[in-house]
Amino acid sequence: MAKLNKEELEKLSKIPRDSGDWIKVGMSSCGIAAGAEDVYNFFIEEVKKRNLKVDIKKCGCAGSCYAEPLVEVKVEGLPSVVYGRVNKDIAVKIIEKHVIAKMLVNDCIFDSLA
Amino acid sequence: MYAKTVLIKDTDTGREDMTRESYTRLLDCLRQDSLHDHVQVVRVSDIGIYEHGLVVKILPDNMTYANVQESDLKRIADSIKDSKAIEELVFKPKAKQLRLVLRNCGKIDPESIDEYIGCEGYLALKKALFDLGQQKLIDEIKSSAIRGRGGAGYPTWMKWNFAREVKSDQKFVICNADEGDPGAYMDRSILEGDPHSVIEGLAIAAFAIGASKGYFYIRAEYPLAVERINKAIKEAYDYGLLGQNILGSPFSLDLEIRLGAGAFVCGEETALISSIEGKRGTPHPRPPYPSVKGLWGKPTVINNVETLANIPQIILRGGKWFSGIGTQTSKGTKVFAVTGKVKNSGLVEIAMGATLREIVMDICGGTLSGKPIKAVQTGGPSGGVIPQELLDTPVDYENLQKLGSIMGSGGMIVMDEDDCMVDIPKFYLGFCVEESCGKCAPCRIGGFQMLNYLKKITEGKGQINDLAQLRRLSQAMQKASLCGLGQTASNPVLSTLKYFEAEYNEHILNKHCPAGKCSHLVTYNIIEEKCKRCGLCFTNCPVNAIVGDKEKGYSVIQEKCTKCGRCFDVCKFKAILKK
Repeated sequence: MAKLNKEELEKLSKIPRDSGDWIKVGMSSCGIAAGAEDVYNFFIEEVKKRNLKVDIKKCGCAGSCYAEPLVEVKVEGLPSVVYGRVNKDIAVKIIEKHVIAKMLVNDCIFDSLA
Repeated sequence: MYAKTVLIKDTDTGREDMTRESYTRLLDCLRQDSLHDHVQVVRVSDIGIYEHGLVVKILPDNMTYANVQESDLKRIADSIKDSKAIEELVFKPKAKQLRLVLRNCGKIDPESIDEYIGCEGYLALKKALFDLGQQKLIDEIKSSAIRGRGGAGYPTWMKWNFAREVKSDQKFVICNADEGDPGAYMDRSILEGDPHSVIEGLAIAAFAIGASKGYFYIRAEYPLAVERINKAIKEAYDYGLLGQNILGSPFSLDLEIRLGAGAFVCGEETALISSIEGKRGTPHPRPPYPSVKGLWGKPTVINNVETLANIPQIILRGGKWFSGIGTQTSKGTKVFAVTGKVKNSGLVEIAMGATLREIVMDICGGTLSGKPIKAVQTGGPSGGVIPQELLDTPVDYENLQKLGSIMGSGGMIVMDEDDCMVDIPKFYLGFCVEESCGKCAPCRIGGFQMLNYLKKITEGKGQINDLAQLRRLSQAMQKASLCGLGQTASNPVLSTLKYFEAEYNEHILNKHCPAGKCSHLVTYNIIEEKCKRCGLCFTNCPVNAIVGDKEKGYSVIQEKCTKCGRCFDVCKFKAILKK
């Protein structure tokens, strides 16, 4: 990557991000300690296997350490929500119910950050 | 496709959870209004509101109703149909988080500089370099009135201004990421979640004072933070945001990481400087302050991680905007790491001036056990314990100091009735005694002697004049210690003596620990009438201090008992008396 000057920096900052469907997994120490790495790898595999158009992203700790691993999901047509204490079972539900069937998953959402 | 989403959760913990019943009921109501194809209802685990009955939240309208009765559900369904709010049910939150420092944490990929730039990243640096210049930059920080978030609360602009005014061929900036308070991890989260914001803040500080070299002093116990900062620095170099002629301007800056070996005292700025210089990490008397004579004798600005993470926002939105948030003397927000006996442990960022009760009860959902809060400890080993009666105090630097505690770096430990107010200061003081570098006598000897008194008291050997002695030693340490570690090490003792002297007296006079924490003062006995002779305590006692059999019943041999409490925990019939 070439070094930026101020005009180029400004241009770069205007490129829209976070468009399309995505899943973000909290991957700070607290998340990883609670098993976020497995969840992240599971999503990567699952998206590949099912050929879904969803970006799997990493992010830092959102602060709700008691509910790690945290996973934020945004798909077209649904509000973006945060799932907490996500394990493989919940991850499967997120893929099958939320991403594919477009229905939020019951009993797993932690809506404390809004 | 649903047009609306309704989140539902019963937040009362004192009775049976009614979430499922209400969920079914609401679905019925929606079906009656033939809305069931337009509205989806979801049961959630946590709705961010606690002890407010049934809570219903409607998205995307972002309308929240609390204390909803079953009879209200029909009205709510109707209100969704006519998109009209039901005013008397609308929930108005008392306390709300305000995320400035944590604005990107959990939002962006910390390992991607592009994502940071996409969130106005490095635009503040650009503004500082090309639009503001040094003087206006410092003026902006001055008008924001931001104070150091590391604990002492020294005005940031003054540090910068001192260092700028000194003439020197070389100046340094240092980011103090040697976070060591037990239970505090705000800085780690910022470094791991949004490393570029700290790098940008540090670069702005370097430009303000005219430094061309900077250091991150991070403790080696934070491997992920080190890895992410490392990666972020490399990316910033690749983009020309660090190194020679940043963004094509005459300003150049090199950043490097220095790892701390985990000594608590190295968070003190003069000890930290020694450590970077490769010397033993011990503090020096001030003045001269590091702003004048710091790293290798050159003017040096040392700022905490959280302070630096605030800087880009202040530059972009202006000092006036920042000083509009907070209280008279303390501006902006503060991140707290709330831990201990609290339901939702984690990071909370609030505007200064929110009360401790709002943080613990409204945002963090109260205690885990449901028992009343006894006290809240702020400021780590340098802070104090604030009793339950004073939790309505608005949080800022001055208020906490008045209560005998400090803001500190932002650790907040919630305690309930099971915590002993002699044991807690003993723990903190023990920490400071272990971490004391030993250079000055008041801290080295004073701390050790105070700890001995506390040990004596918790073992039931205390005498009433020990308390006066503790107070005297505290004063001596406060006045005569070389650095902040010794000066503040007695705060936990002093504050508990101030608010919980009765508990000390109970330990000394009645040889009794009200919280049942001090093992020397607790005895376990079996209540014969309640005992069902199941033998569970007998088989679980690790030291065979429980004797007897299923025919004759059981008893505890006090001489053998190590007071581990195992029998108390395993007994299903509450037949063990803990006193």
